[in-house]
Amino acid sequence: MTALAASRMVCHECDLVVDIPELAVNDKAYCPRCSYLLASNRPNAFSKMFAYSVAALIFLALANAFPFLSLNASGHEQSVTLPESVAVLFNEDHVLLSAIVFATIIGVPAVLLLGIVYVSIAIRLPQGLPGTRRALRWSLNLIPWSMAEIFLIGILVSFIKIVSLANVALGMSFWAYVAFTVFLILVLINIDRREVWRRVQAVRNG
Amino acid sequence: MDEFHECSARANDVQGCPMCTLVGPAGSTYCGSCGAHKHDGWDDSLQKTWAWLVTSILLYLPANMLPIMYTSFLGKTTESTILGGIVTLWEHGSYPIAAVIFIASVLVPLGKIIVLVWLCISVQRGYTGAHRHKTLLYRATELVGRWSMIDVFVVGILVALIQLGSIMNILPGSAALAFAAMVVTTMLAAIAFDPRLIWVSEHTESENKEPPE
Ligand SMILES: [Zn+2]
Ligand SMILES: [Zn+2]
Repeated sequence: MTALAASRMVCHECDLVVDIPELAVNDKAYCPRCSYLLASNRPNAFSKMFAYSVAALIFLALANAFPFLSLNASGHEQSVTLPESVAVLFNEDHVLLSAIVFATIIGVPAVLLLGIVYVSIAIRLPQGLPGTRRALRWSLNLIPWSMAEIFLIGILVSFIKIVSLANVALGMSFWAYVAFTVFLILVLINIDRREVWRRVQAVRNG
Repeated sequence: MDEFHECSARANDVQGCPMCTLVGPAGSTYCGSCGAHKHDGWDDSLQKTWAWLVTSILLYLPANMLPIMYTSFLGKTTESTILGGIVTLWEHGSYPIAAVIFIASVLVPLGKIIVLVWLCISVQRGYTGAHRHKTLLYRATELVGRWSMIDVFVVGILVALIQLGSIMNILPGSAALAFAAMVVTTMLAAIAFDPRLIWVSEHTESENKEPPE
């Protein structure tokens, strides 16, 4: 656990020039003018970022492998996996809709996490890895388009809608998806833009 | 001279990179530190925001008026709109869920569009004041806007799950895609809007061209 060096920043939200002092562990720096969170020093942020990304990717893989939800209505029993549910939309000729759903609940988070894993490995190697800056830019730009937590609320709402028609049961993959979402959120709160870029820059210069 | 302008990066001929936060000289379009194109959001921010906003307003109407879902039960097909779905939930006594869907699908997109239109107009007309409140409003729209996708996911799950052959089937309606596209375009509008414009307006920049002191 180390302090983060001081640096000069420009607030992303209000364009104020701010001199950030040295940040001790658990310190946060907010913009004095618009109170935007400029930088933070979470304990072991880089190890957590790496470990949680790997965990999230494993749970995402599991979430795609087993039954996600199953339905029991008047003797009819049916269960779907996550890829199958996207495929149903695709097969019903709703190609664009299935693409949006697939991207926001599986594709975008997967690419984002792979990018973070790649960057986490690159900053630990003395000579770095090619394309690190591109991977980090992609991952950071994708953050708003990852909607795993919103999908979980969507499942809850669907449940309440169906409950009067049929028995619905949660499959193993549902719980894997919940774990994936938790780890994804943990990854995102441990990313500090300033410090990640500083590390990437240090490897490039060193 | 605007008191907020003087201590901004723009008035001091420096520029912060929105991607990597590094401070560099003003006017460069490419960040040497992270490789991002920097000037992106600053000059044509308003134009891009307007373009996405107009698209999302055009999508708002079909998204709310066309059926979002077709339910066929024993050969009889009924269609439902977003509002119709909320009313049904309410009638069945699921008040909290009806409220969640009403907020996420109706109020949030509408509020988001209104806030962004107002922010764009206030920047263009050079209205000053309430900087902090405007920034907080902008941040709220950015944070909350994504949650409108709930209804799209609900339709997706119902369609995937309820495929019971001749007994019961659910199919997505055209409003589902219109609604998803509307959420995406409002998000793009919010991303295109540069919140720094609230604090550093165009007309204060021309004043700054005069030599200091
Ligand atoms: Zn600020
Ligand atoms: Zn940069």
